[in-house]
Amino acid sequence: MAQVTLKNIKKSFGPTEVIKGVDLDIQQGEFVVFVGPSGCGKSTMLRMISGLEDVSAGQIGIDGRDVTHVSPSKRDLAMVFQSYALFPHLTVAENIGFGLKLHKTPKAEINRRVEEVAKTLQLEALLDRTPRQLSGGQRQRVAIGRSIIRNPKVFLFDEPLSNLDAALRGKMRLEIARLHKELKDVTMIYVTHDQVEAMTLADRIVVFNQGRIEQVGTPMELYHTPANPFVAGFIGAPAMNFLPAEMLSEQQVRLGETVLDLPQSSALSGAVTLGIRPEHIEVSDGGEIMATLDLMEKLGSETLLHLTTPFSDSPLTARVDGAVELTEGQTLRLKFNPNAVHIFAASEVRPAMTA
Amino acid sequence: MERENRFWRVALLALPLFVFLALVIWPLLSSFYYSFTNWNGFNSDYDYVGFENFKRIWTDRLFFNAIVNTSIWMAAAILLPTILGLSLALLLDAKVRGSKIFKTIFYLPICLSAIVVGQIWVWIYQPDWGLLNTVIEQITGSRFNYAWLARPDSALYAVIVAWSWQQTGLSMVIYLAGLTSVPSDLLEVCDIEGATPWQKIRQVIIPLLTPSTVVVVALSVINSLKGFDILFIMTGGGPFNSSDTLAMHMYNESFRKYFMGYGSAISVVLFLIALTIIGLYFRQLKKVDDIYG
Repeated sequence: MAQVTLKNIKKSFGPTEVIKGVDLDIQQGEFVVFVGPSGCGKSTMLRMISGLEDVSAGQIGIDGRDVTHVSPSKRDLAMVFQSYALFPHLTVAENIGFGLKLHKTPKAEINRRVEEVAKTLQLEALLDRTPRQLSGGQRQRVAIGRSIIRNPKVFLFDEPLSNLDAALRGKMRLEIARLHKELKDVTMIYVTHDQVEAMTLADRIVVFNQGRIEQVGTPMELYHTPANPFVAGFIGAPAMNFLPAEMLSEQQVRLGETVLDLPQSSALSGAVTLGIRPEHIEVSDGGEIMATLDLMEKLGSETLLHLTTPFSDSPLTARVDGAVELTEGQTLRLKFNPNAVHIFAASEVRPAMTA
Repeated sequence: MERENRFWRVALLALPLFVFLALVIWPLLSSFYYSFTNWNGFNSDYDYVGFENFKRIWTDRLFFNAIVNTSIWMAAAILLPTILGLSLALLLDAKVRGSKIFKTIFYLPICLSAIVVGQIWVWIYQPDWGLLNTVIEQITGSRFNYAWLARPDSALYAVIVAWSWQQTGLSMVIYLAGLTSVPSDLLEVCDIEGATPWQKIRQVIIPLLTPSTVVVVALSVINSLKGFDILFIMTGGGPFNSSDTLAMHMYNESFRKYFMGYGSAISVVLFLIALTIIGLYFRQLKKVDDIYG
């Protein structure tokens, strides 16, 4: 049985409809990540699950119970906010034990559980400090501690890492993944605009765009078989390249002067959009696609090539081994991995695809 | 150019500095000086009497009466406007119809001078036709002509009510401003964790309003120490010194009985009390700053 069920959820702020009918089942113990560009409705969706925001239409179920009009505290969930939302006047221990104290839990019991949680999150040495004396990462751990102490059924994370610097974000990401492993039965719903967080943490990713779900799937499903150019462009970094092409037959596509043989037949015909990820482009003497090397970004282990092609206005990005020696301005021969070529209808235009 | 700038800077600062020196520092130092004399306020000849005036304070029954009254006055003048102002702010912060109008109404008394407020309340308390007694008569249906300001039991408290009526608007406005800076996500945490409205106010909102409380209490302390005009207009410290505060007592000794030297000694004591309170207060302020800064 699904732990969290969303049935045709809609939300309007005045005349503006921000969620336009969302259906989703989330299983117990699943780590689901809502991802999408800013303004896509993912945070609003999370807030509606939490009960902090009313739904305009539709039904929310948690653990088989209709909670659409139930107050947040009665939904048996916890939420971690982007801003940490710690009480500045309380110590770390008091912040973690806040919910228990509200419900008049005996002091000894609170102390015991606070220490237990502090141990899990390595906060034991900080229990007497106030939030101001903590670093960003420590603050977020306290916020997580406040959430797990009540053993909620569902855990909501609203962009919990976006206030941290890059190095700390990577570290906290690992800690959240570890936490999910330890709390096997707890369902986690995590909102982020960072597709790396989505890919690394999620059991399943839900891609939101303009108030709708574009695709739901495991990270690898979304990476390998994106349903549309939006998902294709959003998942994976650097983003997938999109090039205008033409279907010659079910298994042949023409790109500029080059004809590619596709391993699988496509139902599309005529003008199409060809998608290829930067890591599936190879610089090879045997390549048939000609491109001019505009700019190089050397990242050490790998190098990003920014190229221009005669058959497209938009630049093409390729990711190659860092050891390859090239010079800017050089004309290169490229080879596309035919197994990794995606064919989309040309009419599926591309808003925010390269975001 | 630089020289000219410097000239203007000094010139523009000189005027306020002069006013401050003439109206604050000079009288302050004068009080210290006169507190060691037996000056009557008029004659040019007076004698140095050492600590005689301060010794007299210890034997002055009315001085201790004034200390008690001042303590009651200050405690009430700090607590009432603070509590009422906070309650009104919490009520009016909710988005209810007409809250803007009520905010304005409750704030209005601040725009009046203490003399005007005092006179309004003198009329309200008037025994025969005052608003208060008339309302009581209407409710009870029997004749009621209690003289609120003429009875030693009620005079001080009657003035405290008038004072709080005026000061509450100020603390309300400060608390309303403070409420806008309470982060909404902290309140959302309360909703998710299941706090009752009272728990939310008691355990989160009031502590988070501490910076506002600091300001409200500071203003109340300063205003209540200065609170002289409203007492002067409403009771003059009477009846039988029942509403005599230190400031009132000092005024009576200096300007009614013409013991300017003794009055100065009282003002020196009052100054030291104020200094102590403010000193303690600043220490507290630093702690608040460490948490909320």
